[in-house]
Amino acid sequence: MESPVFRLSGVHKQYGEGEAAVLALRGVDFTVESGELVVLLGPSGSGKSTLLNILGGLDRPTAGQALFRDLDLATAGDAEITHYRRHHVGFVFQFYNLIASLTARENVELVTEVADDPMPAEEALALVGLAARSGHFPAQLSGGEQQRVAIARAIAKRPTVLLCDEPTGALDVATGIRVIEAIIEANERLGTTTLLITHNADIAQVGDRVVRFADGAIRSIETNAQRRKPSELNW
Amino acid sequence: MGFIPPLDRKLLRDLSRMKMQAAAVGAVLACGVTVFVMATGMYGSLLSARDGYYDSSRMADVAAGVVRAPDSLTRELAQLPGVRAVETRISGVGLLDLPGRNEPVSARLVSLPPDREPRVNGIVLREGRMPNPARDREVLVNEAFAEANRLAPGNRLGALIYGKRRDVEIVGIASSPEFVFAVAPGALLPEPERFGVVWMGREALGRAFDRDGAFNDVQIRLEPQANERAVIDSVDRLLARHGGRGAFGRDRMLSAQFLADELASLKTMASILPPFFLAVAIFLLNVSLSRLVATERANIGLLKSFGYGNFPIGFHYAKFALSFSILGALLGMAIGHWIGLVIADIYASVYRIPDLRFEAGPGVYLGALAVAAVAALAGATQAVIRAIRLPPAAALAPPAPTGFGRLGVMVESAAAKLDGKSRMVARRIARFPRRSATTVLGIALGMALLITSRHFPLSMDRIIEVTFGVAQRMDVMVSFSESADEAILRDVARLPGVLSVEPLRSSDVIFEAGSRRQRNSLIGVPPGAQLNRVLDENLDAVQPRGDGLTLSQLIAGKLDVQLGDKVRVQAADGHRATAELPVVAIVKPYLAASAYMELSALGRMLREPDRVTAAYLLLDRTQRDAFGARAKELPTIMAVSFLDNARESMRKLLEQGSGFFAGMFVVFSSLMAAGVAFSSARVTLAEQERDLATLRVLGFSRSEASYVLLAELGALLLMALPLGAVLGNVLSRWLMSQFQTELFVFPYVTSAAAYGESALFVATAVIAATLLVRRGVDRLDLVGVLKSRD
Repeated sequence: MESPVFRLSGVHKQYGEGEAAVLALRGVDFTVESGELVVLLGPSGSGKSTLLNILGGLDRPTAGQALFRDLDLATAGDAEITHYRRHHVGFVFQFYNLIASLTARENVELVTEVADDPMPAEEALALVGLAARSGHFPAQLSGGEQQRVAIARAIAKRPTVLLCDEPTGALDVATGIRVIEAIIEANERLGTTTLLITHNADIAQVGDRVVRFADGAIRSIETNAQRRKPSELNW
Repeated sequence: MGFIPPLDRKLLRDLSRMKMQAAAVGAVLACGVTVFVMATGMYGSLLSARDGYYDSSRMADVAAGVVRAPDSLTRELAQLPGVRAVETRISGVGLLDLPGRNEPVSARLVSLPPDREPRVNGIVLREGRMPNPARDREVLVNEAFAEANRLAPGNRLGALIYGKRRDVEIVGIASSPEFVFAVAPGALLPEPERFGVVWMGREALGRAFDRDGAFNDVQIRLEPQANERAVIDSVDRLLARHGGRGAFGRDRMLSAQFLADELASLKTMASILPPFFLAVAIFLLNVSLSRLVATERANIGLLKSFGYGNFPIGFHYAKFALSFSILGALLGMAIGHWIGLVIADIYASVYRIPDLRFEAGPGVYLGALAVAAVAALAGATQAVIRAIRLPPAAALAPPAPTGFGRLGVMVESAAAKLDGKSRMVARRIARFPRRSATTVLGIALGMALLITSRHFPLSMDRIIEVTFGVAQRMDVMVSFSESADEAILRDVARLPGVLSVEPLRSSDVIFEAGSRRQRNSLIGVPPGAQLNRVLDENLDAVQPRGDGLTLSQLIAGKLDVQLGDKVRVQAADGHRATAELPVVAIVKPYLAASAYMELSALGRMLREPDRVTAAYLLLDRTQRDAFGARAKELPTIMAVSFLDNARESMRKLLEQGSGFFAGMFVVFSSLMAAGVAFSSARVTLAEQERDLATLRVLGFSRSEASYVLLAELGALLLMALPLGAVLGNVLSRWLMSQFQTELFVFPYVTSAAAYGESALFVATAVIAATLLVRRGVDRLDLVGVLKSRD
């Protein structure tokens, strides 16, 4: 069996000092295996986004150890973190964050230009069902299409991990389902280890495991006996 | 803060966050307000000090020279309609013998009435006392001359009048509105070290000039509503029999003309320069506020959904602009006031006008505030309208991505060759052509002003270089008392060290063309003149002809004549000969507008042939002292002026006045260019924040992400530089022409350095500002930016 992709032990994250200090994570121990689709569930402020940001190299823990394979994300230098993001991480945010001045294909190419072993941009777009819209600018795409371009952009470099922070938060049900399908497609076809944050307990059923957060700590970790298909979801 | 309404509390907090932008806008606006306050205030101060001085010291409105008129004529002059007061006196130029000075120094000698104050051109005693009428050796000297030569009451000096030496004693130091500037005959500018004014008793001076019981100089004050032209004509008629030299108004009094020139320059500066700074401040405000409204989109929607009306919301954003502007205006007023005080000190030391101090009235400051407020509102208008027009629902919904399109086949095929980041830059510039153009224009305008500011010193250098190097090539000029027989030239040629002599004749004439009338000197130049040449625009020598007039462009303009037009010429003195002559050439001298003719033709026209008024000499420099000593002994020589001294005086005069302003202009233009650079960089960063954060999250390094910011500003800078050069060229030429006065023409002279250095400065400022702002890329809160809606 492959070694785990992420190993976290005693991860703490504190924002601010003294009276204004806020403890966002209070000792998280957690391991993510290669190829898994893990759903992080919990109310706002429960610490799931903080954890995802630490795993994505956007933030650092104040205590504890967060390892991506052998790379300690708590202590790695700025260049190492940039390298990690460039070659191993794909991000999908709630608000798409596409570059408005680049077409769908060009947004994807932005990543493939600098990645080591990317898939062609067209292939990434085809994977999310947008091959026909590749020449459109973000302003010419619907919200769901924009999010799928963001997913295509995130997976085009064949990342080791795909981190999705409420990717369906701004979308309606039908569109949300298409987006989740695109994420699952990437996870299954490319074997990308995927962490997916959501508020929605229904969506949790598509994952291998569901990690429930509250007050900066993991409350429970459940394993789904069977992953449900997005098309079977109804929220 | 309980009493402050919530929107104003927001304003205060936002302002403290935007302090760098406030500083950039405020600094540029402050420059404009500084120039406005300083120039307007100084104009008002100088104007009122001059008018006050002229009034309290009874400055003459009309003056006339006459060969010799009996004292009895004074009463008739006083009875002329429109005449308020008349002073008839003896006046002439003589050489002075200062202890320890070999160089000849000359002075205008002016008689004082024996028993009273002069009725016209009063004397202001600065030190010592008035001469005792009973003691004819007691004299006053003017303040500038006394200071330049370290003379004090008690000092003695020799006055050489018609070759006869008189020893006199200084008992007082004085000034007079008539001699705010004292300029030697034939000289272009005041040289206080070498030319002064000596006031002495009427009787003694009358004897010295052989004018007992007579006068040769009339000074007249007019009634407030008098018709100057009519008085001048009447005076001319009365004096004609006695050798009248033609009366003239203040426009031909050199000292008054210098002051009028300075006032005109200040007025030009106050009206022309501030608008440029204000325009740039408006541009900066527009850019900053448009960006602010864009980032506050959701807030605006929220406020509207709470029931805030358009006016409070619009006014809220207008207040940002007003706050920036008022800060800038207050700073500008303080600096303008301070510079005004400094300039007033310089003016006071140059002009010696009593009570000259910087006093800008409340009107100036209120005007500055009003101008700043108008600029603020002009800069805010677009953003305020945008805030008002924003529908609340749309503002609250997540913003649609900015619509981009393809740039056309040609550009797109070029763009296809670019990498993704460069394509982003190209499309952003093309997608927002107006915004890109404003940034380009702002940077270009900053550079244009910088280029212009660099042209003033170049222009001044050129005036000096051409006047004292190309046009005038003599070592010394000697002026003769009254027009002398050409035989004098032989005497002059025999003076020690004289290598070459070139005569010149200068006569006051009245030019008439149609209804236009202009009194000026007509200068007779010998054929093939080498030592003092008339130059055309290309600096080639022009030989004045005998069959027509060679006019300076300024006189031609005043007479509204072109090449070939006829001008009626009447001599102001002597036989009052008249002639009608065509304009055969128009030249553009930098100094003192003049008219020229061939020397002997001028003599024939004046019906006084073979006479000269001055001579230019080439001198063996080793003989300078010997020349000076012997020149003093020639009775017909009344002034000797060395070219190197004149050049130095000129440089000093230009450096004191225009030099200070030119320096200030360079500093302000640099500040402005830097302000534009910083502001543009800042706003570009703010606009690109989300894209930059996205690039960072996608795994681009800081320097790779910064490339997008640097490349956009770099591309805009590259477009701005050539535009700035073109604008700078146009602006420099225009401003130079605006500052042209009766006495000076500022030529447009350029150097590659003026452009190169300005471009380098602007480029450095933009790059430095970009690098400063670029640090923002390092500090980007990636999560914060990307999780926000926009």
